[in-house]
Amino acid sequence: MSRPEVIRAAALAAALCCAGAFAQDERLISGPGSTLTENKCKICHELQHISRAQLSPGEWADNLRNMKERGTPMTDDEMRVIHEYLSVYYNRDKPAPASAPDTLAAGGDDPVQKLLNANACNGCHSVDKRIVGPSFREVAAKYAGDRDASARLATKIRAGGQGVWGQVPMPPNPAMQETDLRRVVTWVLDQK
Amino acid sequence: MENLKKPVESRRGFLAGVAGAGALAALGEAATLREALAQAAPAPAAPPGTVTNEAIKAGKASAMQYHSERPITGSVPAHEHDFEFTPTDRVFVRNNLLTPDLDINAHRLTVKGLVEKELTFSVAELQKAFPVVTMAGMIECAGAGRTNYQPRASGTPWGETGGMSCPVWTGVRLRDVLAAARLKGGAAHIAGQGGDPGAVAAAAPVIRSIPMSKAMDENTLIAWAMNGAPLPKVHGYPLRLVTPGWVGSASTKWLHTLTVLDAPFKGTYMTGSYVMPKWPVKPGEKMPPDTVSTQAWPVKSMITSPAPDQLLKGTERITVRGKAWVGEGSVDRVDISFDEGVSWHRAQLDGGRDKYAWRTFTYDYVPQRFGHLTFLARATDDRGNVQPITPYWNPLGYFWNGLHRVGVMVVPA
Repeated sequence: MSRPEVIRAAALAAALCCAGAFAQDERLISGPGSTLTENKCKICHELQHISRAQLSPGEWADNLRNMKERGTPMTDDEMRVIHEYLSVYYNRDKPAPASAPDTLAAGGDDPVQKLLNANACNGCHSVDKRIVGPSFREVAAKYAGDRDASARLATKIRAGGQGVWGQVPMPPNPAMQETDLRRVVTWVLDQK
Repeated sequence: MENLKKPVESRRGFLAGVAGAGALAALGEAATLREALAQAAPAPAAPPGTVTNEAIKAGKASAMQYHSERPITGSVPAHEHDFEFTPTDRVFVRNNLLTPDLDINAHRLTVKGLVEKELTFSVAELQKAFPVVTMAGMIECAGAGRTNYQPRASGTPWGETGGMSCPVWTGVRLRDVLAAARLKGGAAHIAGQGGDPGAVAAAAPVIRSIPMSKAMDENTLIAWAMNGAPLPKVHGYPLRLVTPGWVGSASTKWLHTLTVLDAPFKGTYMTGSYVMPKWPVKPGEKMPPDTVSTQAWPVKSMITSPAPDQLLKGTERITVRGKAWVGEGSVDRVDISFDEGVSWHRAQLDGGRDKYAWRTFTYDYVPQRFGHLTFLARATDDRGNVQPITPYWNPLGYFWNGLHRVGVMVVPA
């Protein structure tokens, strides 16, 4: 790829975020693995692609392998969790059990992790690895020593941003509570 | 009743006007939608270099039914296909990735791989270098009609009909371009790659290859126009392959590179998608190891008029009209049944000038009773293949070509 192509390809990862903003209220049945499944699948498509497809566990395995081939950023471990979840809650041959807390959500009951999951942050960011956006540690390192870091980062999360970490835009989060926003900002800047 | 009896040919001017009005109506709706969204939440930053769904929908008829927004997919149902060829604003939309916003002046097409001479063309150069061909031709998504399958397969939930179009294409023959590049020995497949970007940088590019026999067909084009106008962005502007009669994914949009290979391209869009079991599996079973790549569509038909649930006056003559096509070969006959398949009656078949275009069939009928009445259409090709009642199930729900049924009500005059 030429340089403009690379920039464009990266910039286009935007789609992931942008449409995510439209579909934030779209949810799967809550259960062990539902958060990870939502975060990974929403990167490229609506969750209705899952909820209206009732597949067998074998077909879900084929489907996930296909999605990974197409470029979904997920590890084999994550793929196993998602497969287990889909085979229980979206299985053609067995009715779904009652919804349950997602005990496998990153961070479990940790209140900040709950916020990161609820606002789809974990789809593109993780603590120590780049997924689509920078890792939280990279963000913390960038703002280290910046007195206005909290305000800058809060604005960025609230309004969305582009250009700091490349041309991939981050979607705005207009509906996030002010206290939740501050909590996330403090936590992110603490990741060193 | 009156307009149903008019021959298709005389409807073209009228329908072109209707199509234009539809596009205007769609624009109006899109503007309202944009306003509503703007009030609800700040619009997210548009991915640079891509086209928004709102812009795509603004160019489409209000009859379009959208099945998903990411990626965007949409089509019109059978009774909205009642045109000689498909107007641009009714051509189905199906992307694997995002719609790129390309610059026709900067765009280049490169031909490489097993060729003596690697070639690069601007769009203007391509248009001047080879004879220009205009023809009508079918493009149909492999999964068209998917929701008819039970159990349901994953993928775009194309309705009972829809996911296919037959517009008029203008371009140059792929074989003329390949001749200019001079194929080397062993050239067996040609892979098309387009400039559509994914939602993540790691997204696999959509690359599909077709065998040289299809590439050398005089109807396989590198096209720049649809229905006499430049390709709309969502349909591949500024250049696309048109591999008529075959699954839509073989007609690479936003085409920038053609690579001549000694074997089928190996990639997820060749081996993971667009494949069927070599031998049919029991409905609901997963894909077996032995698969074949989907290529030409089997023989198929749909009834475009009357529309479902239309009220028909008893004792008055009505015309059952529709389209029939096959991916390779030709449609030889279409039969109509108005008694749930007990008896069949040969319809009149028009068209057939362009090998890969659908043909229009008509059958005049006077209802013999009141009440609910169904019409079934069944096409037969020149090799004797007949549409099945229900085709064999396959895990990804491809190649639905079961009989299309339309039910109407016959009421006293």
